Amino acid sequence: MDNGTSNSASENETITLKSCDGIEFHIDARIANRYTLLNNWNGGESACIPNVNGKVLEKVLEWCEHHINDPQLNCGDDDSRRRNTIIEEWDENFLSCDQDMLFEIILAANYLEIKPLLDLGCKTVANMMKSKSPEEIRSAFNIDNDYTPEEEEQFRKENEWAEDY
Amino acid sequence: MASKMFMGDMPELMENIFNNLNNEFYTLYSCALVSRHWCKMSIPILWKDPFSFKQNPLFISKYFSSLGEDEKFSLKEYGLNVEISKTLFAYAKFLKVFHISDLETKVAKWINLQLVDADSKSDSDYVQLVQHIIDLLFKLFVESGASLHKLDLLYFYHEINPEIFNSLEQNVQFFSRLQNLSLNITPYFGIETTTTFLKIFGKNTTKISNLELHRCFQFYDPQLFHALIKVIKSQEQLRKFRLSHSIEDKSSMEFHGIISALESQKDSLQEIVIEKCDYSAEFEIMKNCKQLEIFRIWNCDYSKLLKMLNNKINTLEIVDSQINTLTIVQSLEKFGISLQRLKLESGNEGIRDEFLLFEALKSFCPNITYLSISKIKFSIQFLDLIGKNLQNLQFLTLCYVDWPDNEQVMQFAKKLPLTLQYLNLRNFLLSSKIDILLNHCNAPLKKLLIHHLGRANTKALIEFCIRIKTLNYVGVYREKYLKLEDNIRKEVEEYVKLAPYEHIIVNC
Repeated sequence: MDNGTSNSASENETITLKSCDGIEFHIDARIANRYTLLNNWNGGESACIPNVNGKVLEKVLEWCEHHINDPQLNCGDDDSRRRNTIIEEWDENFLSCDQDMLFEIILAANYLEIKPLLDLGCKTVANMMKSKSPEEIRSAFNIDNDYTPEEEEQFRKENEWAEDY
Repeated sequence: MASKMFMGDMPELMENIFNNLNNEFYTLYSCALVSRHWCKMSIPILWKDPFSFKQNPLFISKYFSSLGEDEKFSLKEYGLNVEISKTLFAYAKFLKVFHISDLETKVAKWINLQLVDADSKSDSDYVQLVQHIIDLLFKLFVESGASLHKLDLLYFYHEINPEIFNSLEQNVQFFSRLQNLSLNITPYFGIETTTTFLKIFGKNTTKISNLELHRCFQFYDPQLFHALIKVIKSQEQLRKFRLSHSIEDKSSMEFHGIISALESQKDSLQEIVIEKCDYSAEFEIMKNCKQLEIFRIWNCDYSKLLKMLNNKINTLEIVDSQINTLTIVQSLEKFGISLQRLKLESGNEGIRDEFLLFEALKSFCPNITYLSISKIKFSIQFLDLIGKNLQNLQFLTLCYVDWPDNEQVMQFAKKLPLTLQYLNLRNFLLSSKIDILLNHCNAPLKKLLIHHLGRANTKALIEFCIRIKTLNYVGVYREKYLKLEDNIRKEVEEYVKLAPYEHIIVNC
């Protein structure tokens, strides 16, 4: 969680994090200070972050490092963040990875409670859906249609008002 | 294989994704048709604010499958040709955002689409019909189990059926999670109706974080004000409070304890907006608001309001026909290093003693990151402020600044700080000199807002993109954006994204 505390660690301090597959990362302590859960895994010889492998953790930490000086948002700012559909170019490039990696980053951000990265990932996925037909979305995200034809037809009828845009 | 996120394992993540599609009706409709699970996740979002849908409000018919037989029959009696069949969901329960004026306009539009013989209806029959549908829908929402997040009780010109108030008393969930409430008292809406609503809020609502009162002081009624004070005091954490009056109603500028009631919210209030209000001693209460950091004063006597504030304000916005620097310098000194965002918007009379303003900002407010200023003259002092003194400036908006000559534009461009990411010149009177500005600007801009894009500035813009490489978005007036020549659009979009300015504007 974006805990709103100030970064009391100095620029030179580092901490060590270990991914679930044993890869160690030495990171700026200010990053861990910003995100409580990262701080919880600081230092322990055998302490590794479960559920996040080295490849994904490396990406997550790269994002955290880039945004280390960002202002911390109030927890009540959810709506205003969502209203802004624009994603900064660095972030857009950062998340222009393959879809599996994008979802892994979202899951890791969720697990590690790095809310701004989680929101950014979700916004990126939402943007991938915009103005697409159901068929295009199914194909983009590899989803099977499990509606019966009757259900699908009834659903279409009830919601066809939203087709008019 | 599809990610487990989309297969039902992580519903909270899917919800987060779909919440980014608020009011993207077509996309949400498509998502709901992807699969059963996607349908379950996206339908509540598609239906949470349907009254904001800009096209024909045909969705209204779908609510009626939940009506009782008598109510369904009443629609036919009124001459409405509505096909009512059982629906897959009880859509009314998904309502989260409710603007009562939208209900009124959408119902009227829907009736026009459904009436078999519209010409046969007299005006009074028509009004009665609108009232009947509003009553049916309002009651349906209340009794459906819906729980609102946002309620806007502004500009409503019909009555509220007493039965609805009974329903509200029994269905406390309808208002129990309300976070945003806007209300006004119009002669149409009436003191009694508003008081009844307020009494219900006072009993059932404790989660309001954003409260807006518009023109609530035209009519004094002890019961109404008592109920309003109770609503304010009942909230656990009111964060934003907006009080908006009307300059025409100066005769009734008594607040009757409403502002004083904010004492109960002194530990949570972060933002106060005051619009067209006279100063009252009641405002002194703001001094006690420990968390207050955002203060917006629109067309009020800002000098008195500013004088009494001792808080660490980080965002200050003043909008008035004229801004007199002498009266705000002291406050700038008081807010000092806390002040990060400042907007001064003046009308025709401009900003008086602007050099004093620049001097005060230079001396006391080095941490300004956002500056929006209008009606100033181009001067060396202003250039120095931007180029030398505001070392953290990231956002700059200039409106209706005096037309500088080419040399001044060049100087201005060269002095823009390397911290600047956002430059809004859409109302700047140098549209014809944007090319000069871009040719001499070294600031790593990410967003640039200009009035229009023509042949002359297209070339300079492309060269700027190639040279500086940071620019992501260029915003132009919507009208100009829509009329943009295809070849210019194509040419520019090879280097930077174009958008209507309101899509990328950053407010104070």
